[in-house]
Amino acid sequence: MTTLSIPRPDKSTRTVVLVWAALTVITIVAWRLAPGHADSAGLSDGLVAGIVVLAMIKCRLVIRYFMEVRYAPRWLRLATDGWLLVLWVTLLGIYLY
Amino acid sequence: MTVSDRDLPDTARPPAEPTTRLPGDLDMWVMILGDLFFFGCYFVAYMIFRARSPEAFAAAQQHLNMGIGVANTVVLLTSSMFAASAVAAARSGAVRTARRLILATGACGLIFAALKAVEWHQEISRGFTVSDEFFSFYYVLTGVHLAHVALGLLILGVVDRELRRRQRVAFVEQGVLFWHMIDLLWLVIFAIVYLMR
Repeated sequence: MTTLSIPRPDKSTRTVVLVWAALTVITIVAWRLAPGHADSAGLSDGLVAGIVVLAMIKCRLVIRYFMEVRYAPRWLRLATDGWLLVLWVTLLGIYLY
Repeated sequence: MTVSDRDLPDTARPPAEPTTRLPGDLDMWVMILGDLFFFGCYFVAYMIFRARSPEAFAAAQQHLNMGIGVANTVVLLTSSMFAASAVAAARSGAVRTARRLILATGACGLIFAALKAVEWHQEISRGFTVSDEFFSFYYVLTGVHLAHVALGLLILGVVDRELRRRQRVAFVEQGVLFWHMIDLLWLVIFAIVYLMR
C-alpha cells in the first residue's frame, strides 16, 4: 500500500516548526502593539504589561520546547520558571513604579 | 487468577511514559543558569537606571531601528528552529541533514551579527554613542550578547565537527542548548530595549 509507505512527518520536527511559527507571530504582534512613535510619557501601563506577558510566553516556549526543559527533571523546570517569573515581575515592577 | 502487571513479560507491557531526562549535561546547565542569572542582574540594573530618568530613556529609544530589531528577532528564532531540528535529525541518525541544519543555524547567526553591525553603524554615525546613558546600556547589552553569538558560532563549528566524526548526540544537544540560550537572552533584550519605551 503506497499510503502506508509515505513517511509520517517527524513529530518533534513538526512541534519545533509550530513553536517557531507561534514565536514569530507573537513577535510581530508585540511589535505592532508598540506604537512607532510613543510620546515622551512612554507607553500606557496596560500596553507594557501586555508586552511583558508576550515576552514571558516567548521565553517559556524557547525554554520548554527548544531547550526541551519540558522533559527535564523537576529542579530544572523550577529553576527556569523561577528565573522567568522573578526576572519579569521585577522588570515590570520597576517599570511601573 | 488475575494477571498483574508484574506477571507480564517486559515486551508485553505498554510503553512507559517518557521519564524525565536532562537535555545536554549538567555542566552546560550550570553555565546556562549562571549566564541567565548574570544577564538577569544586568537587565534589572538597566531597568533601575531607566526608572530614574524614564523620559530621557524613552526619547533615546525612539532612535532605535525597530525594523532591524524585529528582523533580528525573527532571524534568531529561525536559527533556533534549525538548531532544534538538527538535534532531532541527529537523534534519528540523519547526520547529513543535521549538518545542513547546523550550517543553516550558523548562517542565521552571521546574518544576526551583520544586521547588528549595520544597526550600530547607523546609531554611531547619527551621533548616538556611549555618552548617552541609554545608548551606553544599549551598546554593552547588545555587545555582550553579540560576544555570546560569536562564541555560539564557534560552538556550532565544534558541533559540526562532532557530527562529521563521532556523532555523539549528547554533544550536539549540548552545543545547541547554548545556542537556544542566546536566543532566549535576545528575546528579553528585544522586549526591554526596543519594546518597553
